Amino acid sequence: MPQHQGARLVLSQGQAAAILLLPFLTIYAVFLVYPFFKGVWISLHDWNLMAVAFNPDAKAYVGLSNYERVMWGSNITWGAWASPAFQFIGLAGVVASAWLYRTGRAGKVTALAMGGAALLLFVLPGFHPGEGGRWYDRRFWPTVGNTILFVGLAVPGVTITAMLLAAALDGETRAKAVLRTLFFLSQVLSVTVVTLIWQIMFSPRQGLIANLTQLFGGSPIVWLTAEGFAMASIVIATIWWSLGIAMILFLAGIQDISKDLYEAGALDNATGAKAFWYITLPNLKRTITLVVVLQIILHFQVFGQSHLMTNGGPNDTTQVLVRYIYQTAFRDSELGRASAMAVFLFVIMGGFSILQFVLGREKDQ
Amino acid sequence: MKHVILGATALTLLATSAVAQEVTLGRFFGDCEDAGTDTSASVGEACIIQSIINAADAEIDGLSINTLPTDWGNYYDQIVAAYAGGTPPNVHVMHRHRVPEFANIGALADLTDDLEGAGIDPSDWEPAALEAVTYNERIVGVPMDIHANLWHVNMDLMEAAGLVEDGAPILPSSPEEMLEHARMVQEATGQDYLAADFAEFPIGVRVALALIWQQGANIFEGDTATIDTEETRNAISAITQLFDAGLSNPQLNYADSQQAFLNGEAAVLVNGTWVVDFYAAEAARDDEGLNSYFVADFPTLFDEGATWADSHMWAIPSPVKANDPDTYATALQVLAFINDHNIDWARTGHMAVRTSVLESAEYAALPHREEYTGTADIARDTPPSVRYGAIQDALNRELQAIWLTGKSVDAALADAQSDVQDLLDR
Repeated sequence: MPQHQGARLVLSQGQAAAILLLPFLTIYAVFLVYPFFKGVWISLHDWNLMAVAFNPDAKAYVGLSNYERVMWGSNITWGAWASPAFQFIGLAGVVASAWLYRTGRAGKVTALAMGGAALLLFVLPGFHPGEGGRWYDRRFWPTVGNTILFVGLAVPGVTITAMLLAAALDGETRAKAVLRTLFFLSQVLSVTVVTLIWQIMFSPRQGLIANLTQLFGGSPIVWLTAEGFAMASIVIATIWWSLGIAMILFLAGIQDISKDLYEAGALDNATGAKAFWYITLPNLKRTITLVVVLQIILHFQVFGQSHLMTNGGPNDTTQVLVRYIYQTAFRDSELGRASAMAVFLFVIMGGFSILQFVLGREKDQ
Repeated sequence: MKHVILGATALTLLATSAVAQEVTLGRFFGDCEDAGTDTSASVGEACIIQSIINAADAEIDGLSINTLPTDWGNYYDQIVAAYAGGTPPNVHVMHRHRVPEFANIGALADLTDDLEGAGIDPSDWEPAALEAVTYNERIVGVPMDIHANLWHVNMDLMEAAGLVEDGAPILPSSPEEMLEHARMVQEATGQDYLAADFAEFPIGVRVALALIWQQGANIFEGDTATIDTEETRNAISAITQLFDAGLSNPQLNYADSQQAFLNGEAAVLVNGTWVVDFYAAEAARDDEGLNSYFVADFPTLFDEGATWADSHMWAIPSPVKANDPDTYATALQVLAFINDHNIDWARTGHMAVRTSVLESAEYAALPHREEYTGTADIARDTPPSVRYGAIQDALNRELQAIWLTGKSVDAALADAQSDVQDLLDR
């Protein structure tokens, strides 16, 4: 081919990639990377939100003191059975991952990741204030515990419900298409609308649930202010709200499964629930991992449900980490302390992201 | 061509001068659609304040008011964030209890020398109102009311229990007598004696605080928390004895407790001055539930009278005064307009702050007004603190833990004591 004079600028593949990536990287750096490091920087300061706005010199470098004030206490000791339930589960997890690896049921990396997480569950709850000691912030670790409990209830709740719905609604009839849309609709609502709907549902005076209970002769449960039901009520609202995306992911996963498998299964008399158990479920493994990890990361950031439905109560039973960070930063103006908690939350979510990355890679091998 | 340019310039100048000075206004009190501009006809806090704002917008030349979202729940968080971001509203409402938090760092404009020029006469304000807006001897706001906790009474239920004398309810003068009255109401009517929001907002805290103050005690003094005391235990047991005897339900939140009272399911509702006009309107309706309504001062169950009280006030951020004199002057006009309409705001049930209004025949003629004249004398609050919000939350958490989750009083008070001490130490 004849070359034009004053040849056009020819880009190598790498240069083209760099130019095309530049807009994204710029936005990523300005709006995500920079604020992240600024957050870490703020967490090392005594930084009053309002005072610093009026006088930039009102902040003071305090090193790791915010982390200490939030996470540590005076005279903290460690005991193997300080928190038996958690530590037993942790220990059992370590043994289980070793056994899974030895019997070849889990790969090296998976076993290591699981074992590591289980070990943390054994070690961390072991810390407690000794004789005459106390946590500097007695609400932080219970708040972390509430957040983990919320994730522990919401993630299986969403995953199982969404999977069953997806299996039931997979098909080409018009009714199924309508139902799929209906079940997805709740996902598009904002958290304010969702919590408003559920506050009315749970109201002991005018709520649908109270009316149903009374219809069957029971006395209505005061969901949002009863200690045993408050967490359950925000979990129920969350499951209803975040079902949609998980259901769509499962539907996509189910539609990926070859029809031949079901035909072959049907010849061996595996239909309905049997087909779901022996064909659908094993083939959905990757989707399940994806949904579970996405949900874990999402639900660790729970805020609106607790803030708007229960105000974190009663007795702090629904106080969650992001709400605590929010109150510390905006109600109390203690930005440094709040940033330290946010960095802690980042570490937890980072851990789960790495876990997903590791599990995803191993499947590819 | 020259004419065209001149004409265009003249038109542009004309258009520019016609553009109104915009003032952004931050407030809570909730939303009111179609509040209109008739300040004498609106009902309820949200609609009365919005009608005053709309009237200011319509009547003051060259002014346009942009009212920002009016949500209650996160109001102060939003205001703090707006200040921190350098974009606070030009005027905003706030409570007296928040003054230290904002004025402490110089966030509020010093209005002392500019009020008279704007047509606001601070000497007309009641001493308590002037004190509410004064920080370090400078005036940092324009007061709008004094509001306090009252006993809202269903006279039909009280009458049935034999607790009415000379057209007024007989109120208890000790915790023991309150329990006795509660039993009388339940025996006669089958309904609860007392309802209040003990489960959501800190109204239960305010009841407990009033009973603590009535014994001459407080929850902190200076930098020392004084919660874990005999007085606090007395105050709490005065309340929990009703729960334990099934004469009051601690699990009702604000909306539910109010609904219980309006449905005629409770003889007394503890709530603020802000609902007097609303309950009076509800009682006037010809339907089931509340029909005969009376407002009473918070009764004295211990040694001295006391009820929780606070003030709503309007402030201008200091950067507006420092950097934008035109907006500052316009914002002061808005405050003057609100100050002039103090009588309209008092229709909510709040106590007016201007002596001239308090002494007017129009004020005396407001419904139920003569029934709670003693409240101004017993109005109290905790000492000023930059941590007021967090302290209230800590108390609300621990008191709710007592009546909603069965946490022991000893454990709850020990936790409240250490939490509040931590806050005072920070």
